[in-house]
Amino acid sequence: MFKKTIIESTGKSPWLFHINAGSCNGCDIEIVSVLTPRYDAERVGFKLVGSPRHADIAVVSGPVTKQSLPRVLRTLEQIPEPRCIVTCGSCPQSGNVFRDSYSVCGPLSKYVHVDVDIAGCTPKPEAIMDGLLLAAQILAEKKKTGNQEATLPNPYAPEKTAEEAKPAEEKTEEKGEA
Amino acid sequence: MSVILNALVDLGYILIFPGFLFCFLCGMLLCGIERKIVARMQKRVGPPILQPLYDFFKLCGKETIVPTVANKTVYLAAPIVGLAALVVIQLFIPVFNFTAFAGNADIIVVLYLLLIPALAEIFGAAATGSPFAGVGLSREMVTIISCELPLVLVFLAVGKAVGNAIGSGVVFSLQTIAAYQAENGCLLFKASMIPAAIAFLLTIPGETGMHPFDAAEAETEICEGMLAEYSGKPLAVYKLSHAVKLLTLTSLFVALFLGGLGTGILLVDGLITFFFCVVVIICVVALIDASTARLKIEQLFKYYWTVVSGLAAISLILAWFGL
Repeated sequence: MFKKTIIESTGKSPWLFHINAGSCNGCDIEIVSVLTPRYDAERVGFKLVGSPRHADIAVVSGPVTKQSLPRVLRTLEQIPEPRCIVTCGSCPQSGNVFRDSYSVCGPLSKYVHVDVDIAGCTPKPEAIMDGLLLAAQILAEKKKTGNQEATLPNPYAPEKTAEEAKPAEEKTEEKGEA
Repeated sequence: MSVILNALVDLGYILIFPGFLFCFLCGMLLCGIERKIVARMQKRVGPPILQPLYDFFKLCGKETIVPTVANKTVYLAAPIVGLAALVVIQLFIPVFNFTAFAGNADIIVVLYLLLIPALAEIFGAAATGSPFAGVGLSREMVTIISCELPLVLVFLAVGKAVGNAIGSGVVFSLQTIAAYQAENGCLLFKASMIPAAIAFLLTIPGETGMHPFDAAEAETEICEGMLAEYSGKPLAVYKLSHAVKLLTLTSLFVALFLGGLGTGILLVDGLITFFFCVVVIICVVALIDASTARLKIEQLFKYYWTVVSGLAAISLILAWFGL
């Protein structure tokens, strides 16, 4: 009865849990700035929660150091499904300037399914906001399909030409008429 | 036949009007209004007023994780017991001259029932075995003890004031208090009752765990304390009962100090009561919530047992001398 309401609400109230995986604190400050009066992420329902059990979206910042890796993975496992994992900044995505360091185990996508990558060093608050909104949509999609690795169609994919966009059946019909 | 009819009417009270459905909708609305007002005071746009409803339904759709070391029965029953106690309190609180269940000693029942949600939360938290919950529950116990004394003094002061006026001892019936106010105007406008009203308003943030009295569920230091291990549906019920507690305490304030304003039509009276609840939320709870930082637990205890209890005691003494 409430299934539709639940799916709709899932996209409207994503709660964030922030994990620092050896970050330089730059991204952490920018994540907090998203909640300030200027950007006010709470207007779309975002809320920073204190326990991973309450969270929907995990925001990971930092290059995933050897020390933090087991703890990060354990924390991510504690988030109830459906959950989204967002990496904030270039570090968890590629290692950034810490790449190939003896103490860095990243990128994070080697270990878990990452839903959204927010690039930048540090990303602008607008970029973080954009990434989080995308994550919220993916969250609703995950609840809808029940697939934990669901994705959205890529909005930045190159547009298909009119020829390509036509389904295969129509093309054959046209040929037949000609 | 009439027995069945009475049972049906009672069921309607419990499930619909002052009971569950009313609590659910109005509590959520109050909670949403509170969040919006706090956001506006901080120059933010703020979440939509229906945000607590979205949060509730989202949590209902989440996976429920039960920790392996937890006592499953207590862990899952605690939130429901707390919510049920709050709904029962709502049945005792008069709306103008209508009370679903009335008795001679409503106030004592309400006082005891007000403890149950907090106690249930403590039991649930203890059952999880989480150290964060342990810290949270010890703080919650101190908060309960702190709030209890001023609350008892306020109830006594109001009971004595009404009792003096109608020529009996201390009145413990909310219905009598409501009837007295309907005849003689609100108790808030009586000089001796003003300190008690202020004391009651100051206990609302403490009872509901709002700033600056939210040491028990400090999300930044102890991972939301007692709720740290909860997820999914039990957490949704907790969030709901926090919202309903806001409604219970504000409507109790309206019944004690702003009663006697009504038309006799139940629906209109319900709306008037809700309107006053919103006013209380905006003027007091949201204002305090937005403008203060968290107090340490000893400061909280000291504050309630000196300033707030002092205010309530002044009222009680004044009422005792018949002012």
